[in-house]
Amino acid sequence: MSGRVGASHPFALSARDLRRRRLNRMMRLVIAATTALAILPLVGITVLIVSNGVGRLTPEFLFNGPLGSPPGIVNAIQGSLAMTFVATLISAPIGIAGGVYLNEYASPRVTALGEYLIDVMLGVPSILAGLFAYLAIVPLLGFSGWSATIALSVLMIPVVMRTTQEVMRLVPAGLREASLALGVSSWKTSVFIVGRTAFSGILTGVVLAISRGLGETAPLLMTALGSNDEAINLGAPMSAMPIVIYNNAGSSDPQMVAEAWTTALVLFAIALVLNVAVRFKTVNSRIA
Amino acid sequence: MALSTRLRVRSRITADGFFRWALAAAVAAAALLLVAVIYTIANFSTPLWGAVKPLDFLFGSGWNGVSVDEAGVTKVQYGAWPMIWGTLVTSLIGILVAAPVGILAAVYLVEFAPRRLAAPLTFLVEIVAAIPSVVIGLWALGDLSPRLRDSVEWWIASTLGHVIPWLSENPEAPSSTTVFRAGIVLAIMITPMVVAVGREVIRSVPQSLREGYIGMGATEWETIRAVVLPTARIGLIGAVLLAFGRAIGETIAVRLVIGMADSAVPSSLFQSGSSVAAKIAGNIGEADLAVERGALAGLGLALFAVTFVLSLCVRVLIRRANGGAGRGR
Amino acid sequence: MSAKSRTEKPAKGSATALSLKSLSAYYGSFRAVKDVSLEVAAQSVTALIGPSGCGKSTLIRTINRMHETTTGARVEGTIEIEGVDIYDPQIDPVRVRRSIGMVFQKPNPFPTMSIAQNVVSGLRLAGQTNKAALAAIVEDSLRKAALWDEVKDKLNQPGTSLSGGQQQRLCIARAIAVKPEIILMDEPCSALDPIATLKIEELIRTLREEYTIVIVTHNMQQASRVSDTTAFMTMGEDRAGYLVESGPTPKMFTAPEQRLTEDYVAGRFG
Repeated sequence: MSGRVGASHPFALSARDLRRRRLNRMMRLVIAATTALAILPLVGITVLIVSNGVGRLTPEFLFNGPLGSPPGIVNAIQGSLAMTFVATLISAPIGIAGGVYLNEYASPRVTALGEYLIDVMLGVPSILAGLFAYLAIVPLLGFSGWSATIALSVLMIPVVMRTTQEVMRLVPAGLREASLALGVSSWKTSVFIVGRTAFSGILTGVVLAISRGLGETAPLLMTALGSNDEAINLGAPMSAMPIVIYNNAGSSDPQMVAEAWTTALVLFAIALVLNVAVRFKTVNSRIA
Repeated sequence: MALSTRLRVRSRITADGFFRWALAAAVAAAALLLVAVIYTIANFSTPLWGAVKPLDFLFGSGWNGVSVDEAGVTKVQYGAWPMIWGTLVTSLIGILVAAPVGILAAVYLVEFAPRRLAAPLTFLVEIVAAIPSVVIGLWALGDLSPRLRDSVEWWIASTLGHVIPWLSENPEAPSSTTVFRAGIVLAIMITPMVVAVGREVIRSVPQSLREGYIGMGATEWETIRAVVLPTARIGLIGAVLLAFGRAIGETIAVRLVIGMADSAVPSSLFQSGSSVAAKIAGNIGEADLAVERGALAGLGLALFAVTFVLSLCVRVLIRRANGGAGRGR
Repeated sequence: MSAKSRTEKPAKGSATALSLKSLSAYYGSFRAVKDVSLEVAAQSVTALIGPSGCGKSTLIRTINRMHETTTGARVEGTIEIEGVDIYDPQIDPVRVRRSIGMVFQKPNPFPTMSIAQNVVSGLRLAGQTNKAALAAIVEDSLRKAALWDEVKDKLNQPGTSLSGGQQQRLCIARAIAVKPEIILMDEPCSALDPIATLKIEELIRTLREEYTIVIVTHNMQQASRVSDTTAFMTMGEDRAGYLVESGPTPKMFTAPEQRLTEDYVAGRFG
């Protein structure tokens, strides 16, 4: 029964409509193609890290020192973990406490100032954190893991503080009110009600900071310097995975370059695990 | 116990007050740390300003340090312009590629991608954004660099290069490190950032605005062009500036592919150059003279000034985009 | 039936639980409530009615010192409980709130806690740890809030898994658990459907045997159904809310003294 819609029918497509449709289809294609272009290098890097790195990924590589046979990167892994761990011990409490203060206690003016402080700190290039530590801390503590942790803290504190403040702001004001109205003191409300509700989000911030700390290179080169020593001694120069990658990357010895790729794979795997963990936590979070 | 007696004891000062001050101290500690960073770098740069005028430093070329000429006159020459030029040009190349690509990819993820594709793609972008820059640098040096040299760079140089001098190369011996390559590496590093922030911004455009326009008979593209992008405009500019700031400060990946040509502005994009951050990282270990460290600290100060202004702009923009209430990241 | 229970109410309701004396509440320089004086009888239900924006919610929040938790908010005047001014500098607002419970417009159980944990959250955060005692309080409070039979088999499920009406009764149980003498309710049914609303109203009438209740409502039928005393507020030219009059509920709805009240209860404005 339904006939074709004639050209005079009000719903019929005019030539102009057809042009618009064609343009729409074309732009869809362009946008999809651009997305592919954006994604392609990302896929390429991932594939190359795995394919170039997996060949040498043996237990010996992970658990031998750089002077062992075959040589390994155990000291770099230990160094990365130890320095990032200490930097987390410094930056997580400061970042969390600061974020809680800005969200729960500070006057609007102080909050605005504090947010600006975070923005500026987040924008500080890592080379400047390294330069600061090199000029001010290394003369006091020497080229050492301790100096490196201070440089890393400059970069990690704002990450934790920003995330903490943002997730706490997402906690409905009604919960805070309900708690205060029950006669719970304000610090207990901040910690056990607001903080507890935002907990997984705060944890996300800490993990993000850890993942930033693990990947930093320039500040470590200027403070921890690198070392072949296998002992975990924060008072002395230390190795770290980014330092190994950087030092080996430009080498003319293919062996060294291969070691750089495998170290990159290990570092990438750790970054991946941390990110997946964060994502999993965020999905399960009740407020995020 | 009577109600009135229950009310009367006042004992909250200790715990609440202590907690409050401890938290405030954390903010103060962070602020002090930032001040210490700025003060240290500024303070160590003072020997430079005694020897070189600020404008000569910023816009001069030649990094010959302290020298004594035949007549026995001591000369101090630190010109930061080649490094500043390198930082600006590589970051510009990076942002010119990353901004359109990143924003269109963000549009795709929000507006077009089927649900089953959007989630894994977003995840991929986030993962790559988290890859340490040294790993990107390793890839750039070992894999991307030779590819670019033999494809894009060769092609541009052998066509446009004959007409435009700063796109030419020496066909006999193409440089193993080039400014152009550093720009492309930066583009690849900051694209995920533009996509991630851009996606949030575009997603926050109210669905009702789109529906209102589609309801008037607009196509998807017309809606994106007339409603989505204009509404998200300020947030998108913020995302691009944020990425620009990241590109300006990037050290390791740039250093691995740009070379160490620090004495003059290269005559072509396909020659080696240097950047502010790469110069600091490369030279600080050998800087024994106070004035030499001062020159590197001066570079650091310039870098900080630029990133400081950028974060100010981003804050103002994103604040306005969110109607003054909050901010994005 | 409600009228009957009101008349059966013993004379102890005549004792004064709460007296507001020339109370004004400010947000910064804006005066939201102006010069309210009101006596609230013990073990009775007092309803605050009035057009939206007239400061009912602000007024009720001054009674347990919640008003001052908003930045820039402050109070002038006094509120006396058994002759003690709760705004005396010697008084701890945290203790005031422990004696004066509050139920909010939107049910707000703590999302990280189970039903049982929600009920005793106030006590646990105040340091009470005796498990057996807490378990007894969970049951007792939930029974008083008429929720026990519905949740006794799922006390460990999250409080947010309940329906809206159940969540609000959970919030009432949570307020009861800290053993307050006075319970404030700020439009407790505004987010609920009619059936859930009826359940809460029934509950309010039972709770009145033990507690002094002040309820803010925009619903005049609700005020007439649940309250013994009604106080009518409106706002003046300066947008500050003030008390027009208060009195026994039946009188307020049939023969108020002020013309404004009469117009409002007749639905002629508001």
